[in-house]
Amino acid sequence: MNRRRLFFGIATVAVLIAIAACMMVIGRGHTMYFDNKKLEYEGQTVDTIRRINVFVGDEQVAKLSAKDRGMATFTGQTLKFRLEVIREKGRDSEFFDYTVKVPYGQDGTVLNLPAMIEGLPAEAYTSEFVPIVTEEEVDEEIITDDFGLSEDMDMDVGAEG
Amino acid sequence: MKKSNASSGKKLLSFLGANSVTIMFVIIVAICIPLSGFSPVFLINEIITRMGRNIFLILSLLIPIMAGMGLNFGMTLGAMAGEIALILVSDWQIWGIPGVVLACILSIPISALMGLMCGKILNASKGREMITSYIISFFTNGLYQLVVLYMMGPIIPIIHNSIKLPRGYGIRQTVGLLTMRQSLDNALALRVGGVKIPILTFIIIALMCFAIVWFRRTKLGQDMRAVGQDMDVARDAGINVERTRILSIIISTVLAGFGMIIYLQNMGDMATYSAHSQIGMFCIAALLVGGASVDKASIGNVFLGVVLFHLMFILAPKAGGVITGDEMIGEYFRVFVSYGVITVALVMYETKKRRAKASMGEQLEAEQREEDAR
Amino acid sequence: MSELTHNPTPLERIQSAFKSFGLPRMIIAGMLVVLLVAAPFVGANFWMQITNVINRFTWNGVLVLAMVPMVHSGCGLNFGLPLGIISGLLGATLSLELGFTGPMSFVMAIILSTPFAILLGAGYGWLLNKIKGGEMMIATYVGFSSVSFMCMMWLLLPYHKPDMVWGYAGTGLRTTISLEGYYDQVLANFLQIKIGDLVIPTGSILFFALLAFLMWAFLHTKTGTAMTAVGSNPTFAKAAGINVDRIRLLSVVMSTWLGAIGILMYQQGFGFIQLYMAPFNMALPAVSAILIGGASVNKASITNVVIGTILFQGIVTMTPTVMNNMIHMDISEVLRMVVSNGMILYALTRKTEVNR
Repeated sequence: MNRRRLFFGIATVAVLIAIAACMMVIGRGHTMYFDNKKLEYEGQTVDTIRRINVFVGDEQVAKLSAKDRGMATFTGQTLKFRLEVIREKGRDSEFFDYTVKVPYGQDGTVLNLPAMIEGLPAEAYTSEFVPIVTEEEVDEEIITDDFGLSEDMDMDVGAEG
Repeated sequence: MKKSNASSGKKLLSFLGANSVTIMFVIIVAICIPLSGFSPVFLINEIITRMGRNIFLILSLLIPIMAGMGLNFGMTLGAMAGEIALILVSDWQIWGIPGVVLACILSIPISALMGLMCGKILNASKGREMITSYIISFFTNGLYQLVVLYMMGPIIPIIHNSIKLPRGYGIRQTVGLLTMRQSLDNALALRVGGVKIPILTFIIIALMCFAIVWFRRTKLGQDMRAVGQDMDVARDAGINVERTRILSIIISTVLAGFGMIIYLQNMGDMATYSAHSQIGMFCIAALLVGGASVDKASIGNVFLGVVLFHLMFILAPKAGGVITGDEMIGEYFRVFVSYGVITVALVMYETKKRRAKASMGEQLEAEQREEDAR
Repeated sequence: MSELTHNPTPLERIQSAFKSFGLPRMIIAGMLVVLLVAAPFVGANFWMQITNVINRFTWNGVLVLAMVPMVHSGCGLNFGLPLGIISGLLGATLSLELGFTGPMSFVMAIILSTPFAILLGAGYGWLLNKIKGGEMMIATYVGFSSVSFMCMMWLLLPYHKPDMVWGYAGTGLRTTISLEGYYDQVLANFLQIKIGDLVIPTGSILFFALLAFLMWAFLHTKTGTAMTAVGSNPTFAKAAGINVDRIRLLSVVMSTWLGAIGILMYQQGFGFIQLYMAPFNMALPAVSAILIGGASVNKASITNVVIGTILFQGIVTMTPTVMNNMIHMDISEVLRMVVSNGMILYALTRKTEVNR
């Protein structure tokens, strides 16, 4: 009896840990930034493209003219997306499908689309997105009284239907 | 015929007496609805949102009541555990439903540990569980702040500056949960004429209700009820009273942790240092408004209580503003009513307990006399 | 204090002293000593610290003293202290509204708050008599309800004095009212002694001493001993012909009145009247102070009050400065919460005769 209980206990914990691990993989959120910018790589210059539309699934996430940046958020470590490239007005658009893997620990990734379309190696067109740190002068005041009654009294702060 | 009439009148009176809080609330709400001028669709929408947000938390209170430990003010501990889990999850950038699930799993060990501590202390202070659990919630709030305000950063790694204080350690006043905001509520949401119904949240709540009903029938559930009825009798029957009581608190704390996570995913952001401080009070007040008492509470009480209490919460400021010209009055009024309700319920419980004790004494005395006469 | 009949060895004597003092108290006293010793080393002005501690003692002493009657009569720790505080606030605001200034306003505040204290205390005592055994929880919530009720009243009551009401609306009391020109420091400045950085507010200490002495004297009158009897053994007290309910009622009224005087003392030192949610926070520090002083749920003496207030306020005032100077991290607030609530928990878990 006791051994059975121990077994069930361990099994439950194991299942929970497995679910947690699974959630950490599939739920990890990333942001992908799409750049339509000029890039120089080992002497080769890739110019901007007149117009690129980015689709994730059926949804259009960005319309990029030259020098634009667009973004998409996704969970999991791979992002599949389709590019619609319009090089010149009036010309038929070309379509490209890509699947990009991002490292687990990287919150934001920047892709240079022209370089990608040109067929340059991955390290040429991917880079990590580094948020610009805005230095805050004042520390926020932390209110830690026993009863936070003065303000957060109500339960409907930030509620919306 | 006459006799039955009289007794039904008495029954009605005692029904009114036992449910006076609920009836009072129905009256308050009935008066406030026309005064506030809110549209029915708005009210229904608000109520459904708030039901999804809050019911799970209140369900966590049922089990300690079953075990005779009164209103578990220590549910705040679970709320804190849920918050710690959410801080970690939002720092690890786990989004959406997986984030919510992960937070729930992470909160379990923290809640269980805190519940164990709480249960042990409550076992040492039998007979005054409520005041003790109330003080425990303050005590633990101190520990929570120690962890969140000082240890997160140097000891517990926090990567993102968006949730860390600029000074390099401690968590900000608010933590944004935008990435998992209403992820449960929106997952299977249904819109009926402008009213959004969060189906998935309600499914979870329904499952929880069934689980509680099922739990009452299990061996442990039966033990808890026995302990709640009379500790000495239960002990004589071979039940490990201390362990049963601790388990009831642990279960309650863990459920409260889940409840808080559901609550906060609906809100979409988290007031790190104050989100939990009032939650216990409001949940308990809501449960009592639904007709529960310190020693008896059902799932029906939870639902009715949430509807009535939250209606009052939405209506009071506006109605107060209409009546007195100052919305602050309404805000204070609802605080007053929340505390008042708990006070009234506690007084009713204690007087009932005393009366029962007195009548038992009389009965014993009568039996004694009878025996003497023989 | 302790007169032992048999002749114990010094070691035994020390051991029993330790035991009666209790481990948590030892830790807290030890902490205070460490803080006092450390203060000069980390660059804090020792005498200024001492002055602070004495000041805080006089602000809070009477509030802690307000615990004594109810503990004595077996009503438990007075978590309903906010009710007394409200009486005090009513007295204070009325005294100001009626136009009293200077020391007179303090006297009038005491006089005016007395009927409120008696009235509220009597109602509160009547309620507590109906629910014997569950006093502490209900006291807590009576306190909360009355504070939130008064929040509405402060807005609605017809106060008109310009320096008390909100400027733009002309009605509704402000959250804090300055006492400058009224009774700010009236007691503290009376016979004040200054030695370098050390300032002793003699008047405040004397006033506290007077109340403490009256309390002590009362506990030795016939009614006072009856009160102790009711607290320690109600069945015996009843058998001895004491009207238990009446004595309990009296103790609650006394506690409430002392709470009212206590908040006036606090305001006198602090310099402001704080309304609305302010009384909310005030019961727990007072409760834990008397417990730190060595009281238990059903036993408390004047010595407990004095020691407890000094220890508690000592910790509260010393830690921020010392900690800040030492590690540049202000964990005093957290420490205060853990220590004070931990102390209350400790007291609640001690075995005492709960079942009455």
